[in-house]
Amino acid sequence: MFAVEISDITKTFDDLTAVDRLSLVVPEGSVYGFIGPNGSGKSTTMRMIANILYPDSGTIRVLGQQRSGTRSPDRGKLIGYLPEERGVYRKMRVRALLEFHGELRGGRNVTAEVNAWLERLGLADRADDKVETLSKGMSQKVQFIATVVPEPKLLILDEPFSGLDPVSANSLRSAVLEMRKRGCTIILSTHDMGEAESLCDSIFMIFRGKKVLDGTLASIQSSYGSDTLRVELEGGASVLGDLPGIERINDLGQVQELRMAPGCDPQQVLRTLLGRARITSFSVVQPSLHDIFVRIAGPEQEQTAVA
Amino acid sequence: MPRIFLIAKRDYLQMIRSKAYLVGLIILPLLFGGGILVLPLTSRSNAKDQRVAVIDRTGVSASAVIQAAEEANRKVRANGPFGNPGMPRLIFEEVKPEGGQATQLLSLSNRIRRGDLFIVLDISADALRPVGDPKQERIRYYTNSGGLVDQVSLWLPAAVNDGLRRVRLVQLGVDPQRVAGVLGDVPVVSMNLVSQDPITGNIVQGEKKNSIQAGAVPLFLVFILIMIAIFGSAPNLGAVAEDKMQRVFEMLLSSASPFELMMGKVVAAVGASLTSSTVYIIGGLLALAGMAMFGLAPLNLIPWFFAYLIADVLMLSALGVALGSACATPQDAQHLAFLLIFPIMIPMFVLTPVMVQPNGPLAVVMSFIPPFTPVLMLLRQALPGGVPWWQPWLGLVGVFAWAIATIWVAARIFRIGILSQGKTPKLAELAQWVLQD
Repeated sequence: MFAVEISDITKTFDDLTAVDRLSLVVPEGSVYGFIGPNGSGKSTTMRMIANILYPDSGTIRVLGQQRSGTRSPDRGKLIGYLPEERGVYRKMRVRALLEFHGELRGGRNVTAEVNAWLERLGLADRADDKVETLSKGMSQKVQFIATVVPEPKLLILDEPFSGLDPVSANSLRSAVLEMRKRGCTIILSTHDMGEAESLCDSIFMIFRGKKVLDGTLASIQSSYGSDTLRVELEGGASVLGDLPGIERINDLGQVQELRMAPGCDPQQVLRTLLGRARITSFSVVQPSLHDIFVRIAGPEQEQTAVA
Repeated sequence: MPRIFLIAKRDYLQMIRSKAYLVGLIILPLLFGGGILVLPLTSRSNAKDQRVAVIDRTGVSASAVIQAAEEANRKVRANGPFGNPGMPRLIFEEVKPEGGQATQLLSLSNRIRRGDLFIVLDISADALRPVGDPKQERIRYYTNSGGLVDQVSLWLPAAVNDGLRRVRLVQLGVDPQRVAGVLGDVPVVSMNLVSQDPITGNIVQGEKKNSIQAGAVPLFLVFILIMIAIFGSAPNLGAVAEDKMQRVFEMLLSSASPFELMMGKVVAAVGASLTSSTVYIIGGLLALAGMAMFGLAPLNLIPWFFAYLIADVLMLSALGVALGSACATPQDAQHLAFLLIFPIMIPMFVLTPVMVQPNGPLAVVMSFIPPFTPVLMLLRQALPGGVPWWQPWLGLVGVFAWAIATIWVAARIFRIGILSQGKTPKLAELAQWVLQD
């Protein structure tokens, strides 16, 4: 059963094609990570799933219902949406704001649910304060609560952890995982590839409006094969110049990732390196999501696009 | 609760709890009350006695003219601030004609400039002869007082003529004792039309027209309507632009449609306007009852007042929400405020002709133009004589149809405006948004 079924949708803004003939299915109960460079079409896709924007062509089914310009009565109740550009009525008091959003999303007697979430995210003592007095992290937690009261079946989070300190980010991350445990399907976009790898069951990458990756992390990585060498050696990147068979070097500081050209023999690379420096670690690995992202959307791709 | 009313409830509570609303609620009566308070103060400041020099070139008219003018001055002052505000007590002195006429007038004019004199009244030698050419000036007065409305001109010419008539009558041999009786005024009273009671069939005598009922009450009603409509609708413009800048709408849009959002704000504006007007109407009725003038209260017009107010606020607040949503910043919204006030200010320019001829062609045509209907039709209804019964109903249908059309246009702008970023669109672009699917 799919929570979201997107079929061949296109969305244009004047001359710009933001989403181009995109198809995607998000299984129920999964955490689906949306990745892609800024302006690639992630937020537009999420807005279309949330029924805020409508595709020019193609169809979207969410929780079995076809999305359209009209609003079904339970629309807000089924879907929680946290936009990238967050804003709430800053003059309202926290509890009143959350009750307003909860009722607007179709909830009834949401006070108990609001109180439970305020307690859960450490905001119980700020419930009667105005939103404008909260820190950014607290304000972001309040907005998260506004998307999960009443409990949705589909949660769409557009960069939910951006700008948060590690403690606040952890707190929200555990709340997201709790929602998943309760059976909620979660779509989240992020620029943090480590976060996408650790949180998401599946990854979808969009680039210039088109789908370029879709699947589990393992399946995506295996499609690229084990073409990466991860090495630690004395001298670092300075001794890696002109290595035969190496297409690209990704200097991570203490560790360097080397991408091998097709047909390159890792043993030959190891022998060459042994002649240049003392090696402390050498392994043949699948590319990281970060590396895959850069391969797809790196500067050379941009240059290709410009050319 | 339907989402429109949830949004309306939140916006309504926020609006009526705001300082701006509460201050506006107090300021509005002060604007009216202040004007009334200023009049007695002005009168007091002008209460100093003033001197009038009378040059009588007929040689026989001065005392009669002065007597008539003093009587008129007393009456004008006794009429109170509504009759002739601030008219001072005038002390008349006869000045004999001497030397060159121009030299004497220059000397007296200089006394006026110095503040020694208020008026110089110059009665020509042929003033007592029967009037031949009405354009020939036989009596002149000089003063540097008056401004836009020369208060003296409202009563002094009649008083001077009254004095001259007394002299003429005496010259014709009428007993001076009987002159006052001959020239005495018989009151002429303006009455409302006689009507027939639709239930009993009895003929109901028209009541004496009252200047407050004829002028002040209609003006009060339309000014209250205009002010409340503006105070109720205009805040939406800036508030929506502010909310848009703070990115409030996108989260709300996942729960409510743009139309629900917009209508919630419009309904809140209607609610706030009804709250203010209810406070003022109840306050006004209590004030009239306290002054034993409850009979002047136009109770039959109160339902019309509310109907027109609702239509006006629906139109203006929907337009305000739409324009606010299109603006990139609250500052841009302020620049567009004139578009909101424009439709309601135009009727202000024709208030005088409509009050003079409430059933004239201009008044009738203007009052059927929907944006102007609330103000002008209500004004015509409130004036003595009223309007044919079908006109307010037709006007109301027109104005509500117009309001629905305005809401439709506003919703088309709002749905695009709230998610648009960048610069504020031009009017041509707004028109494109309206036509865009």
